[in-house]
Amino acid sequence: MAIQLVRQPPDQAPAATTPDAGALGNALSFEDVYMQFPDGTHTLDGVSLALKPGEFVAVVGPSGCGKSTLLKIASGLVTHTGGTVHVDRNNLGYTFQDATLLPWRKVRENVELLMELRGFSPAERARIAQEQIDLVGLTGFENHYPKRLSGGMRMRASLARSLALNPSVFMFDEPFGALDEITRERLNDELISLYMRQGFTGLFITHSIPEAVYLSTKVVVMSKRPGRIVATFDVPFSYPRSPELRYAPQFSELCGDISVALRDAIEK
Amino acid sequence: MANAPVAIPQVYTAVPRAEQPSVASRILQSVLPPVLMGLVLVVVYIWARNSLEPHRQFLMPDAAGLWTQAFGLAEVRWELLDRGLTTITIAVVGMGVSIPIGMILGIVMFRFHVMEKAFFPYLVALQSIPILAIIPLIQSALGFGFMPKVLIVALFTFFAIPTTLLLGLKSTDRGIIDLFKLQGVNWLVILRKAGLPSAAPALFAGLRISAGLAVIGAIVSELFFLAGRGGLGQMLINAKMDFKYEQMYAALIASSALSIAVYLFFSWLGNRLFADWHESGGKSA
Repeated sequence: MAIQLVRQPPDQAPAATTPDAGALGNALSFEDVYMQFPDGTHTLDGVSLALKPGEFVAVVGPSGCGKSTLLKIASGLVTHTGGTVHVDRNNLGYTFQDATLLPWRKVRENVELLMELRGFSPAERARIAQEQIDLVGLTGFENHYPKRLSGGMRMRASLARSLALNPSVFMFDEPFGALDEITRERLNDELISLYMRQGFTGLFITHSIPEAVYLSTKVVVMSKRPGRIVATFDVPFSYPRSPELRYAPQFSELCGDISVALRDAIEK
Repeated sequence: MANAPVAIPQVYTAVPRAEQPSVASRILQSVLPPVLMGLVLVVVYIWARNSLEPHRQFLMPDAAGLWTQAFGLAEVRWELLDRGLTTITIAVVGMGVSIPIGMILGIVMFRFHVMEKAFFPYLVALQSIPILAIIPLIQSALGFGFMPKVLIVALFTFFAIPTTLLLGLKSTDRGIIDLFKLQGVNWLVILRKAGLPSAAPALFAGLRISAGLAVIGAIVSELFFLAGRGGLGQMLINAKMDFKYEQMYAALIASSALSIAVYLFFSWLGNRLFADWHESGGKSA
C-alpha cells in the first residue's frame, strides 16, 4: 500500500491564534475521547484526562490498550472518532518508541531537522542545535552518524531534536523501552533535569511502573482495550529526584498500589 | 525433581588463542584463490582448444594469435578504443533517457496508489517482452541511426529504476514520515528530505543492475545494425564476416572490460555515497 504523504495535521493554524476556551487553563486535555479505527478496532472508550501546565503525567496500561493512540490523537497523526481534544499543536514535542533519527544525517543535522522544517535560519539552527546537544550530553558526537551511536545516545539525540523547538507540551511514547536498565535509569534522571529546566508539560507512556512513578507528578492507569482510565495516583515526591528514591519504602508502596490497579485493569 | 537426569560433567580445557595471521598471509589468502582459479580456466581453455580438430581451432585463438592479429596492431587498438567510446556513449545516453523517466514514474506510482495499480502490470509486461525480439521492429520504424540504439538501451535498463525506487520509497520508516507530518510540511518536502534519501540505496542497487544491462544493450543493439558508425557490437559482427576471430575475441574482451568497469564504478560510487550510514555501504560501524 502506498504511503499517503499529504495530510497536514488538522486545526493547526487556529489553535495558535485563538486561545482555546474549552481548555480551562489546561495545557492539554482529552474530554471523553473515543477512537474506533476503520477496521473496527475499538481502541479508546471515553478517555478524559487533563494536564495542567507544568504537570508530568505518566500513563501505564496493558499492551494494546491505546496508550500510544492517545498521543497520536493529541498530535493529529490520527483523528479521534468521538469527544474533544484541546491542544496547541504548534508547540508539541513528540518522541517515538524508536529514536527515528534520519540515518543519512549526522547528529547535528538530525537535531537541526525540525528547526529546518519550521524555517529557522541556518545560524539560529546551528546555535540552538549545539545548545541542545550539549544539554543532552552528546558534545563531541555532533558529526557522528546514528549507526555509530549506542541506543541511549540515539535517544538523547532524539530528545535534543524535540527540545530544540522548546515545546510547551512534550509527549513521550515509551521512549526508553528498548534500552537496558542502567541506561534507562540514567536517561530518567536526565529527563527530570530537562523537565525542571525547560518547564514543559509532560505526557509519558511507559510499561514500567517504577519509571512512571520516578518521573511523574501523576500516574494514570488504563484498562485493557478498549482503553479507559481506571485509576489515578498522585506522586507526592518533590523534584529533583535522586536515584535513592527508587529504594524508599513510600516509593515501593506506591509502585505496589499501581501494580495492583494495573493487574485489576487487565483481569477485569 | 527426582526425575532429572544425572549431570555427568566432562573436562573442557582452554585453547590458547591462535595468532593473528600476518599481513602477507592475509593478502595471499585473498589473492591466491582467484589467481589459481584463473589458471585453472586457462588450462581448461587450452585443453578445449587442443581437443578441437585443427581446422576448427580458429574458434579459440591462442595468446600469440590474439597479440599478432589483434591487440598488437595499432589500428585494432584504435578501433577498440573508438568503438568502445561509441558503445559507452549509446549506453550512457540510453540511461540518460531511462533514469529520469523511470524515477518520475517511480515517484508518481508512490504518490498515487492508483497509478501504481495502473502502471505496475505493464512494467512487468514490458520486462517480460524479449527486447531482442522487438529490435527488428524498432529498426523498421526508426532506421539505423543513433536514436534507435538509445531506445533499445532505454528499454533494457528501464524496468529496474521505477521498481527499485518505488520499493525504496515504500520502505521509508513510518516514524520518520510521522515526524515530518507533525511539522505540517507538504509531501514534496517529505519526498525530498525523507523519501528520496531513504530510497537512495535501493535505487542505487537498481541503477547498478541497469548500468550493466546498458552496456549489454548497447552491444546487442548493434548486432542488428551493420550500417553507420557503430560500436563494439558491430565490430563483433564485422570480425565474424571477415573471418578475423582474433579481433572478435578482442572485441569480446573489451566488452567485458567495459561492463566490469561500469560495475566497479557504481560499486565505488555506492560505497562513497552510503558507506557512512547504510548497511549496504560495506564498512560497518
